[in-house]
Amino acid sequence: MLQAVAGRRVLAALAVLVLLAPLVSALQFWGGRDRGGDPRAWDFDRDPRAEFQFVRYAYGSGGDSGGWGRRRGGWRTDWPDAEYHLTAGIERLTVIDTAYGGKFVDPMDDELFDWPWLYAVEVGRWHLEDREVDRLREYLLRGGFLMVDDFHGSEQWARFMYSMQRVFPDRPVVEIPAGDALLHTLYDLDQRTQIPGIQYVWSGTTFERDGFTPHWRGIYDDEGRLMVAINFNMDLGDAWEHADTPEYPESMTALAYRFAVNYLIYAMTH
Amino acid sequence: MFEFLFKYPLAAFRKGEFALATGWPLWLLALLVVLGCGLVAWLARRERSRLAAKAGLAVLVLQCLSIALVLTLLWQPALVVQSLKSHQNVVAVLVDASRSMAFGEGGLSRLQRSAQLLSEQVLPGLEERFRVRLYGFGASPERLESLAPEDWPAPRPSSAVGESVLSVLRESTAVPLGAVVVVSDGSDTTQRFDRDLLAEIRQYNVPVHTVGVGRDRIEGDVELAAVRVASESLPHSRVSARLTIRHDGQRDLATRVTVRDGSEVLASRAVTLRAGEPVRREWVDFGAGDAGVRNLAFSVEPVEGEEIRENNTRRRVLDVPRGRRRILYAEGEPRWQYKFMRRAVHRDASVQLVTLLRTSVNKYYRQGVDTPEELQDGFPAGEEDLFAYDALIVGSFEAAFFTPQQQAAMRDFVSRRGGTLMMLAGPNGLGAGGWHLSEVVDALPCELVAGEESFLRERVKVELTTQGREALVCRLDTDPGRSAELWAELPELADFQRLGELKPAAVSLLGVRHGRDLLPLLVRQNYGRGRAVIFATGGSWRWRMGLPSDDVRHDTLWRQLLRSLVAASEGPVRLTSDRPEYADDSRMLLRAEVRGKDYRHANNAQVTAVVTPELGEQLSVDLTPSASAPGVYEAEVEIAAAGAYRIEAAAYSGDERLGADTLHVRRESGVAEFFRPERNRDLLARLADRTGGRFWELDEAAQLPREIRFSEAGITAREVLDLWDMPALFLLLLFLRGGEWALRKRWGVI
Repeated sequence: MLQAVAGRRVLAALAVLVLLAPLVSALQFWGGRDRGGDPRAWDFDRDPRAEFQFVRYAYGSGGDSGGWGRRRGGWRTDWPDAEYHLTAGIERLTVIDTAYGGKFVDPMDDELFDWPWLYAVEVGRWHLEDREVDRLREYLLRGGFLMVDDFHGSEQWARFMYSMQRVFPDRPVVEIPAGDALLHTLYDLDQRTQIPGIQYVWSGTTFERDGFTPHWRGIYDDEGRLMVAINFNMDLGDAWEHADTPEYPESMTALAYRFAVNYLIYAMTH
Repeated sequence: MFEFLFKYPLAAFRKGEFALATGWPLWLLALLVVLGCGLVAWLARRERSRLAAKAGLAVLVLQCLSIALVLTLLWQPALVVQSLKSHQNVVAVLVDASRSMAFGEGGLSRLQRSAQLLSEQVLPGLEERFRVRLYGFGASPERLESLAPEDWPAPRPSSAVGESVLSVLRESTAVPLGAVVVVSDGSDTTQRFDRDLLAEIRQYNVPVHTVGVGRDRIEGDVELAAVRVASESLPHSRVSARLTIRHDGQRDLATRVTVRDGSEVLASRAVTLRAGEPVRREWVDFGAGDAGVRNLAFSVEPVEGEEIRENNTRRRVLDVPRGRRRILYAEGEPRWQYKFMRRAVHRDASVQLVTLLRTSVNKYYRQGVDTPEELQDGFPAGEEDLFAYDALIVGSFEAAFFTPQQQAAMRDFVSRRGGTLMMLAGPNGLGAGGWHLSEVVDALPCELVAGEESFLRERVKVELTTQGREALVCRLDTDPGRSAELWAELPELADFQRLGELKPAAVSLLGVRHGRDLLPLLVRQNYGRGRAVIFATGGSWRWRMGLPSDDVRHDTLWRQLLRSLVAASEGPVRLTSDRPEYADDSRMLLRAEVRGKDYRHANNAQVTAVVTPELGEQLSVDLTPSASAPGVYEAEVEIAAAGAYRIEAAAYSGDERLGADTLHVRRESGVAEFFRPERNRDLLARLADRTGGRFWELDEAAQLPREIRFSEAGITAREVLDLWDMPALFLLLLFLRGGEWALRKRWGVI
C-alpha cells in the first residue's frame, strides 16, 4: 500500500518536473546566465586595469527602471552574457585594451564620468527623472558616448523620446548617413540589416511590435560628432548574448559585434 | 702730484724704456754695490756688542739700500721714450655731436661743456705743438672748422664711437697722425663696438685718448633697456615677452608695463621697481591673436618727474603666419586620451593633428590627412615623408613595430630636422614598449623604466614643478598664482608611467604624487636642432570628463602643449637678421641657413631675398655663402627709411625650390640716442686702454696736451729723460737714512 502511494507520488513529481521543464528552459533562455539578485554581486571586476570597460547605464534610480523594478530593471536585459561575449570579441577583433565582462553605473553616481562609453538597453521603457536628464546631458557634453539598443515600435520610440528630448530639447535625432565615420571606423557597414532579438528563433520574424524597419539614428554635437547612437527596431544585445546559442543566426551575431566595435572605435576617436 | 714726484707724466713711464745714461758697465755698478755692502757689514760686526742681531740686520739692510741707490744715481738712470715732434704731427679731436650730447647738466648741455673745455683748456695746449683736426661725429665723422657754436653740426640721431674713430684713422693714413682725442658720453648706438672693431682700431697703432662727458647716473630715469620676444607665433597662442627695465635704483618706483598693438592693449600690469635693484626683468604674456603682422609697442609708464621719456618704449614686429603646422600622431591602440586630444585641437587655427591609429592587428584608421594617399602605407618609411611634419607624437606603440630605419629617422627628425618628438605613456609605450632599446633613446629627456609594470593604471594627482609654474605651456591662467590654483583643482589622472632619471639637460614641468615621491610626468629637453618631450600618462582625459562641460582646462593645456611642439619648428630655409630692431641704424645683416629636403646643409644654393619696406620700393638682394658656417648665406641690406620691413628669402638648387622663409623687422628713427643716456665710461675706458691712450675725466682733461706727446705714432723723436734728479729718488734716500737714524735713536745706539 505504502509502496503504491510512494510510486504515485514519484510519478506525480516526475509529471510536475516534465511539465515545468520547458518553463525552466524558457526562463533560462530569456534570462541567460541571470542568477538573479543585485548585479553588483556579479560585478566581478570592480577595479578593471584596462582602457575600455563595458558599462551599463542603470537608469531608473528613482524607481522607474523599465518595468521590472530597480533590481531586476529593463536596463540589465541580456546581462551578463552580452558583456562576456562582446568584450571577448572586442579583445579578439581589435587591439583595444578591454576589461572582460561588464559594470553598471547609476546615473547619479559621480563614477559615471569615469566611463566615457555607456550602453543603455530597453530604453523604450525608460523614464529619466529631471536630475538624471541633467546628468546625462552633462555627461554627453563633456564627451561621453551613449549607445542605446533594444527598443521597438512607435510606442517605445515615443517613450524613449520623451526622456531624450528633455536631455537635448534643441538637438534633432537624425538618421545616420551611410558615409558617416561611425559605419567605417573598422568595418565598412554599408548594408542596413535588421538585427533581431532571440524571438526570431521561434517567431521567424526579425521585427517586434510595429518596428518593421531598422533605424540607425543619432544625436550630434555642435562639431558634428555623434553623442548618442540609437539602434531602433533592433536588438544587438540579444545578438551578443546569444552568440553561443546554436539556434540564433551566427551572421547576426557577427554583424552585431561589428557594429559594437565600430561604435566603440568611433567613441574613442571622435 | 705724480709729475711733481716723478718729474714726467705717467705716460712717459708707460711708454718709455729704462736706461742708464753714463754707459758705464753694469758689472762695475754691481761690484761697487757688493763692496759697499761688504764694508758696511764689516763695520756692523764691530758694533755687534751695541746692537741686537735683528736690529743690526735692519740697519745693515737700510745702509745697503742707501749705497745701492746712491751708486745707481751715479750711473744716471733715464727713460728713453718716443715723443711727437713739435709742429710736425696731427692730432685728431673728435667731438660727439649726437643727440644725447644735448642732455642738460648743470645748466649746460654735454656738448656745451665739451666745447668750453676744449676751447679753453685743451685745444690751446695742443695747438702749441701739433696741427689739430677737429671732427664732429654721429654715425660718421665730419670735419669742423672750429668749436664756435655757429660751426656745431646739427644733433645726429645716432652715434658710432668706434666706427668714427676707425674712419678718421683710415682717412689720416697720409698724414702724421700722432694721437686721437675723443670727447663723448660713450653712447654707441650701433651695437657694433666689439672686440673685432677694437682690434682693427688697434692695428693703426695710434693712441686714442677719451674724455668722458656726462653723468654716470640720471636720477629718476626709467628705461626699457631690452625686449626679448619671439618674432613669430602661432595664431591664438600665448606669447611671453621678457622686458629688461633699468632705473637709477635709488628708491622704489611704482609703474606699469603695457603691450599694445596699435591702440589695442594686449596686456598691462603694475610693476614696482625696487631700490637697490637697478635692473629688473619682467615677463609679460599676451595673446598673438589672428593671423597677420602685429606692430607691438612695449612700454613702461613714465614715473613722476622723469626727464627722458623717449626711452620708455620699444617696438617689435610679431609675425603670426597663416596655415597650420602639422603634427603626426601615431597611436598603437584606440584609447580615450587619443579622442580628447583630437577634440582639443579640432578647430585649432595653428595645429593640424594627422593621426595614424592602429585599430586591430593589421588595420589602421587615419584622421586629419590632407589627401587619400597620405599615410595609406602606414607610418612613413623614409626621412623625406617624415620630415614633412613639424612634430611627431608616438603613443602606446611598441618600439619593435618600427623598423630600425624608421627609429633612426625619428631620432634624426629631432636632431637634424629640428622637429619635436613627444612620447606618451601606455601599455605599449615608453619602457613598457621597449623604447629604452630603440634608436631614439638618446634623444629622450630621461631614462626609461623597462617592463610592462612601468605603466600603472592608478589614479594620481598632478603637481606643477618650479619650472612648470614659470612655463607658458603649463599656464592655465594669465596670472601664475591663479594658474597654480587651477592646477591644484584638477581631477586625478587615470594612469601614469614610471620614468627613470632625468638627463642633465632635461626640465621637468609636471610631476605626479605617488606615495611620498614626486615622479616626473612632463619632461622635455633640447636635442640637436630639435626637442624631445615625454608626457608620461594616457589618462589626462579625466581632466575633461571630470570637470564641468564648460571648463576649458583640459583643452587649453593640450592646445598649448601641441602648439609648443610646433612653435619652434623650422623649414629648410631659416632667415634671420642681426637684430630684431634697428634704431637709427640703416645697416641690416641678413643671414639665411639653407638645408635640403633631408635637412642637411645646402652649400650650392642660390638664395635671393626680396625686401619690402612699409613705404618705398621693393629691393631684391642675392645672399652669398658665408665663410663662417656651412649652408649659411649672408647679405648686408640698407634700410634707410623708418617703418616695418618684410623680407622674404627663397632658396633654389638649380631649378628645384628648396624652401623659403619670411622675416619682419622694424627700423626706428630718432630714438636710439635716448637709450642708455648716462655716460658709458666702460666703453670709453676700453677704447683708450686697448689703443695705448688714456681715459680722462672732464675736469682733468686740461693735462691732456702734456701727456699726449708720448706717442709712437706720427713723426717722433727719441728722447732721453733724466731720472737721477727725480724728487721721488731723493725722498727715498732721505727716507732710508732718516729711517736708520730713527731706529738707532729708538734703540739708543746713536
